[in-house]
Amino acid sequence: MSARPAKVIVHEVSVAFDSHGRRLAALDRISLTVAAGEFLCIVGPSGSGKSTLLRVLAGLQRQDAGEVRIEAGRPGAPLTAMVFQEHALLPWRSVLDNVAFGLENRGVPRAEREARAREMLALVGLTPFARHYPHQLSGGMKQRVGIARALANDPEVLLMDEPLASLDAQTRLLMQEELLRIWASLGKTVIYVTHSLEEALLLGDRVVLLTARPGRVSQIFPVDLGRPRGLEIRASQEYGALLEKVWSQLREEVVRVMWEARGADAP
Amino acid sequence: MSRRGAPWAAVVSPVLLLLVWEWASASGVLREALFPRPTTVAATLARLVADGTLASHTLTTLGRIAWAFATAGVLGIAVGLAMGVWRRFSQGVDPVFAVIYPIPSVLFLPLVGFLVPAGEVAVVATTAVTSFFLVAYTTAHGVRQMDRLVMDAAVHFGARGWRLFAGVLLPGALPFVFTGLRLGLGYALIVVIAVEIVGATTGLGAFLWLSWQVLKVDDMYATFVVIAALGAVLSYGLAALRARLLPWIQDVAQ
Repeated sequence: MSARPAKVIVHEVSVAFDSHGRRLAALDRISLTVAAGEFLCIVGPSGSGKSTLLRVLAGLQRQDAGEVRIEAGRPGAPLTAMVFQEHALLPWRSVLDNVAFGLENRGVPRAEREARAREMLALVGLTPFARHYPHQLSGGMKQRVGIARALANDPEVLLMDEPLASLDAQTRLLMQEELLRIWASLGKTVIYVTHSLEEALLLGDRVVLLTARPGRVSQIFPVDLGRPRGLEIRASQEYGALLEKVWSQLREEVVRVMWEARGADAP
Repeated sequence: MSRRGAPWAAVVSPVLLLLVWEWASASGVLREALFPRPTTVAATLARLVADGTLASHTLTTLGRIAWAFATAGVLGIAVGLAMGVWRRFSQGVDPVFAVIYPIPSVLFLPLVGFLVPAGEVAVVATTAVTSFFLVAYTTAHGVRQMDRLVMDAAVHFGARGWRLFAGVLLPGALPFVFTGLRLGLGYALIVVIAVEIVGATTGLGAFLWLSWQVLKVDDMYATFVVIAALGAVLSYGLAALRARLLPWIQDVAQ
């Protein structure tokens, strides 16, 4: 992996928010390097600024300090495209028009953008639903439209903010396999925020663990579980050992936050 | 018997009411001079429709509603969008609106008469006032309730300026705009009748009041029926239009 060139460089990025008249640090001097084609997972306790970091990368949130660099490989391609937590589709647009939305805003002619959108719908298995409206789809299907919308823009880096969090357990498992298949076929650089360690280990090349507020990089775990991966890796010993290792570190963070919330020092 | 909602259930109570009324008027329990039998009202209605009296008044009233509703709709949507987008504008106009809105619209008739030529224009302008506020307020709310995440997604995928306004903000607010229009249309009908009673010699309101004053009670009841039917047709017409124009909205009970 070290042979691959860096695609995303996050250098000493800090973000703070105003909250009830005080400045609250959300991210504190985060530094990360993501290799081209890497699937990087970010986990951390609630309030560790995982989503904030993605929003900075997506250009939806300005950092107060530090620098983000995304290597632009091809001219005209957007740097990032985000898959949002609650799909965030435009309810008045058909599935096809939602997927083509970014291309439309960039002035891509209708025939071309629709062809591209149909290609992406085929990839996520939603071709028969091109003319449906979002409210006619199930949660899992909406999330797949969100993925197709991001992919249709052919970004340098795909950002995913807990895309499967709102799905039921069975649908989530199916979607995880689906994501692995799509990622393998496109070879995109992916930065993926999740609550679930199991998901991070199944999908990621590396797992970045953030500390609780303010978010700092606590530790980075390489996931040496081989590829291609399927749900069956959960039965392997290496998987169990790694899960235990990441969880024990995360557990410390979660417990610390709980004690702080009670206004006491951790024992 | 069907388990849920038999269609005949909705017909039973009005039919029963008419039958009781018919009997009460015929037997003298109600004074027939003031409560004519439904069958008499129906006959009167048929006569007034046949001789064109009702058609002419109905067209006059409908014309006024159309002008008032169009004015209130266009201005209300424009002002409502501005209120939704610019907080300061909303804060600025709010105190004025809050004072004017609850005033019964018909009271504006003399006031409006000072500003615009009294007569037809004053009637239409007065009719438009309350509808305007309803449309403006619901439109503003429609803009403000836009899902933050949907807006973020639209911006993230490159929507800016006019594209963001016309392609995201406006359709996002449309369900509320339609609710405002429906309320506004209902109020336009209520207000136009009231305004016609006090300030016009033509239209359903004027005819209704004249019928009452000369104690042609049958005519008055026949006009009631027309006004009620008009309200139902306008309301359902707009609802049907909404379903046609906004197919993405889930069917929610009105």
